[in-house]
Amino acid sequence: MAINKPYNNRAWLGVLPVLLIVAFSAVIPLMTVVNYSIQDILDFNSRFYVGLDWYRETLQDPRFIDAFGRQVLFSLSVLAIEIPLGILVARGLPKSGAWTSVLLILLAVPLLIPWNVVGTIWQIYARSDIGLLGVGLNELGLAFNYTSNPTHAWLTLIAMDVWHWTSLVALLSFAGLTSVPPAYYQAAELDGASKWQVFRYVEMPRLGGVLVIAVLLRLMDSFMIYTEPFVLTGGGPGNATTFLSQYLATMAVGQFDLGPAAAFSVIYFLFILLFCWIFYNSVMLDNTVGDNEARYHD
Amino acid sequence: MANIILDEVGFAYPGAFEPTLLPLSVEIKDGEAFALLGASGAGKTTLLNLLSGLLVPTTGRILFDGVDVSALSGSQRNLAQVFQFPVLYESLTIADNLAFPLRARKAVNGFSAADIASRVAKIAGELEIENLLKRKPKTLSLFQKQLVAIGRALMRPDVSVVLLDEPLTAVEPRTKWQLRQSLKRLQEELGVTMIYVTHDQTEALTFADRVAVMAAGKILQTASPQEVYEHPAHEFVGFFIGSPGMNFVAIDPAAPAPMYAASGVDQSAQRIGFRPEWARLENPSEQRMSSAAHWPGKVQYCQILGTQDGAPVGVTIIASAVGELKVRGPINAIVGDEIVVVVDRFVSFCEEQYIATHYAPRGSDDVLENSANSAGDE
Repeated sequence: MAINKPYNNRAWLGVLPVLLIVAFSAVIPLMTVVNYSIQDILDFNSRFYVGLDWYRETLQDPRFIDAFGRQVLFSLSVLAIEIPLGILVARGLPKSGAWTSVLLILLAVPLLIPWNVVGTIWQIYARSDIGLLGVGLNELGLAFNYTSNPTHAWLTLIAMDVWHWTSLVALLSFAGLTSVPPAYYQAAELDGASKWQVFRYVEMPRLGGVLVIAVLLRLMDSFMIYTEPFVLTGGGPGNATTFLSQYLATMAVGQFDLGPAAAFSVIYFLFILLFCWIFYNSVMLDNTVGDNEARYHD
Repeated sequence: MANIILDEVGFAYPGAFEPTLLPLSVEIKDGEAFALLGASGAGKTTLLNLLSGLLVPTTGRILFDGVDVSALSGSQRNLAQVFQFPVLYESLTIADNLAFPLRARKAVNGFSAADIASRVAKIAGELEIENLLKRKPKTLSLFQKQLVAIGRALMRPDVSVVLLDEPLTAVEPRTKWQLRQSLKRLQEELGVTMIYVTHDQTEALTFADRVAVMAAGKILQTASPQEVYEHPAHEFVGFFIGSPGMNFVAIDPAAPAPMYAASGVDQSAQRIGFRPEWARLENPSEQRMSSAAHWPGKVQYCQILGTQDGAPVGVTIIASAVGELKVRGPINAIVGDEIVVVVDRFVSFCEEQYIATHYAPRGSDDVLENSANSAGDE
């Protein structure tokens, strides 16, 4: 059904401030990077157009491919731990009472700590000479040393990320769970539903929306992770924990290869965009099917 | 299906100064449609929660078919409930929603997939929702969703009792009567014991075989709708049921006016109550033939509710020496007329029943609201 609305072109003026802000904060900087990525800049006055050479070079760079693989592995690992763990924590929280607010504040604490401080905390905490965790593990007979053993470095990074970000998933899930009216639990109980069925059919449908947000946020953030591994392991031992952004920083700031770094940035950006787009659409597909069905029936 | 006995069941919230529910006893027969009627705060939701196993009674016992279930959980009592708003499993289709209670208890009742499918088909057929079975809840209207919720409550053939907690609250007024019809028909066809909790007298009186009227944590009267209407056992019942409710006239027991004795009022009566339609209006100049109780007054207000044989009918409100009186019937007086209210039929209320007046200010609003609602409803 079409509703006839009068057209008034002056409305475009109302959109102008937003367009300006978006242009200066996002579009122009991004296009600058795109501009760099198709030129070879020797100094300010001698620049050459190179087409897609930098892109080709980046995509064939074995160090880029390795860093990309590590990045995907890292993001998937932390998502696989943080999402279920966050839901579990949220389910364990009391729904109301004095303890709820205390626990919520405690949960929020890791989220309030600056990222390089998180890195420093774990850098010290896991050290095998003075850190509580590192020394403790060594006392237990495990030869733990994240500065020399790549596996240990990975485990420490994942533990740190889980410590840092599970709270976010837990808080979002808790918000989702409190939106379940008590009558739903009561109905499931009277229907004889098992605990798993209550989770699967009562809580999960309500959690869907917030979990999409949680996964998107964690996917983007973990894919862009820089500060904490930089402080904790510095990308080592060797290149074992060098992720995309750190490799990019080395390239752009360390070696001042602006052209390749710009091409790298654009590829990086497009990957994150693509991941989120695929994920969001695959999740939302289910819902749109339902809506179409409704339209056919009514 | 089960016979349900509440034996001196009372409930007080921990730390509460007064009990929410005073010990009460009532028996609900197998296959009966029973309604709990009361204003908000009467304790009917507490009683419902005691029946559903959400609360455990502080005193007394609840028996289902002679078995004490007071300490059992809701799922162990094998009952079903329909809530104020439709509660469905949002990710499941309507067919799966209906099948859910049977599948969840498959280990207990041994239903095969074919049994479940045929039961789904039967209940869906009864409710005429076969065309919805493949759809998801969010594509349904509120009315359809509540139908499905009712269907799910009726799925288990062995369910001991179905509790209905104001199930028509969320439904549009225009479709309320339709849902009420379906519910009543199903209750009769399947012979399920149903307990219907509501503050809406129209719903309670049209649905139930017997009604329990509650106020202040007590059941004041349990009887058939007609009995409750015509012979209220308590002033509050007379006042709460009917729109508008009963008129009450105080009698001085030390020196009752002679006309009361002549018209058959109990010696010990403190007050008499009469329905607005049990009274009629007479012209003061007419010679009265009967010895019926009567009071002169002045017409204050006429509320026309419709017409009958072309003449206006409704409620006439008369200011008299004994208070404001409401008379239902033909309206043939105008505001300011001197008139006599004659009562042919009434109920006498004695001393121990006289606790009701403090409900009046709040209750009268409720009654007026109810009458407005039910007028739009029918």
